[in-house]
Amino acid sequence: MAAHPVIASGRDIRLDLFRGLALWFIFVDHIPTNVVSWFTVRNYGFSDATEVFVFISGYTAVIAYARMMQREGWIRAAARVYRRVWQLYVAHILLFMAFAAQIIWVSIARDMPSLIDEMELMGLGENPYRAILAAALLQFRPVNLDVLPLYIVLLAAFPFVLPAVIRWPFVVIGVSLTLYAATCHFNWNLPAYPEGKVWYFNPLAWQVVFYVGTACAVLGPQLAWLDRFRWPLSVLAGLYLLFAAFIALSWHYNSLQEITPAWVARQIYPIDKTNIDILRFLHFLALAWLVRVLVPAQAAFLRWPVFHPLRRCGEQSLLIFCIGTFLALSAQIVVSYFEESLLSQIVVSVAGILVMCAAAYVATWFKSGGSAGSGRTPSAAEAVP
Amino acid sequence: MRFSAWPWLAALLALLLPASAFPQSMTLCRAKPELLELGNSLPAARKAIAERKQLRVIALGSSSTSGYGVSNPAYAYPAQLKMGLDKALPGVDVEVLNRGIGGQDVEEMAARMQAEMKENPASLVVWQTGTNAAIRQMPIEKFTRWLRNGLAFGKSLGADFVLMNLQYVPAVVAAPDKEAYEKVMAAAAKEYDAGLFRRFDIMRGWYKDGMPYAQFVQLDGLHLNDFGQKCIGKLLTRSILNSLNGP
Repeated sequence: MAAHPVIASGRDIRLDLFRGLALWFIFVDHIPTNVVSWFTVRNYGFSDATEVFVFISGYTAVIAYARMMQREGWIRAAARVYRRVWQLYVAHILLFMAFAAQIIWVSIARDMPSLIDEMELMGLGENPYRAILAAALLQFRPVNLDVLPLYIVLLAAFPFVLPAVIRWPFVVIGVSLTLYAATCHFNWNLPAYPEGKVWYFNPLAWQVVFYVGTACAVLGPQLAWLDRFRWPLSVLAGLYLLFAAFIALSWHYNSLQEITPAWVARQIYPIDKTNIDILRFLHFLALAWLVRVLVPAQAAFLRWPVFHPLRRCGEQSLLIFCIGTFLALSAQIVVSYFEESLLSQIVVSVAGILVMCAAAYVATWFKSGGSAGSGRTPSAAEAVP
Repeated sequence: MRFSAWPWLAALLALLLPASAFPQSMTLCRAKPELLELGNSLPAARKAIAERKQLRVIALGSSSTSGYGVSNPAYAYPAQLKMGLDKALPGVDVEVLNRGIGGQDVEEMAARMQAEMKENPASLVVWQTGTNAAIRQMPIEKFTRWLRNGLAFGKSLGADFVLMNLQYVPAVVAAPDKEAYEKVMAAAAKEYDAGLFRRFDIMRGWYKDGMPYAQFVQLDGLHLNDFGQKCIGKLLTRSILNSLNGP
């Protein structure tokens, strides 16, 4: 079975830390008017926290299931993947319910029927029966509920790719890139609800981030081969990040906009999100490369207590993602209630992150035996993406 | 070396913060009054309101009509138009059908116009188009032909038309001859006695007044964000009401 000396054991702290950071960013960015979102990556370049989240999800999927497959066989590993897919699905449906309930509760409690009106326009009111069916089929994903369905689809395909990616990671990268290119060229997408809508994060395109993530996890130590080109690659990545930062800041400063040459603008726009524009993907890869260079896996500062909350959030990613999405809506309502005052934006952002951290610590406590007697062994669950 | 970067980063952030946090409030939503003249008195819509106390509007268009990427579909301009007309026309049964399909341009829309109008006979059609054509460099003759075909057919069914032209966003501004498409739309509106909602000029006004793109455009440089959609919805409502209440 040991075709490859696969997958370093021991948890790579960077994965948890940066996934935690991505979850914080997603929360902060989902609040429409929020000064705190100035601290997130999306204002300084093309890609945002979604790429980080999807890439790390692919990476950790290999770490969690590849050794399981080698020890216990494909069927067991596939079954475990689908158990996870089921958990994701349940979480998504629950989040959908909680999201809708929150809007309804607020509009009744605060006597703001306009909120329900908006909810109706989300597709629920027009034809609730069809909307519920479409929600169960993941075709109807109002507002910020697009990320989990993407993840569900990607992970559901994963068992079939897993045996291949372990043996031939470069082939998987090649196939994934081909599918990505074809999707962009032919404008493929999955059906959505209401009619005419598409998946905001097109799984056929976004799979490229996930599967490049899986391949990187397989290649792991072999990536050291790239270190021969450490300097040129880092310089290139750095230059590209600067370019992206310039363009991103030009959306905020018209003076920068004026000095952007027309032919550059002609080449780069639009920077599509649905089919993850190649500029976005390259931006993420450049970021990832620099993080790899600047933050070695063994770096001592990764273990500093200040980073603890981030790591905890990253470890409990599904729970924290759901809480963050739910709270982003609450935060949006609070901020608009206070007429978008700066203070309210800062307070809800900090409060939301504190709640996410508290939830992550509680969940960790439960897993580590807080629920004594359940007899659950934490070992296998540890690395679950 | 790594840590010496922190002061710079802090300075950079401090520099950036003042321009941040885009308010959603509509106080920034403006346009010169002359840009809100559609140049058409919308006779069919008037008649429907006067005789049947009813106004059905079809919003025909592409992604900006369908509300791509807004945080809530209620912010898309057709929904805003519905809310605005409801408020301004009490006692009138207002219906706004969102028939926006992302990625389409004039040729697909002209082709499905017959089906749309048959299914839901409307007295007013807001036809948003031109952006995708300009970005993809559709040959201008082809654009003209399909636009005129669509207008000729739509008008023959007795509906009023309002053409909504291109959006002023980085992706369109970078297109070499976006003005040509704009001109074709203006000429066609005149010839077929349709209204023209000059979205391009309105949004250019925002930009020239110093409003950064991030206030009204999504980060893809193409689609209107929450604020942009809501504001266009408000201004469109105002333009239509001007026409309905005018001489």
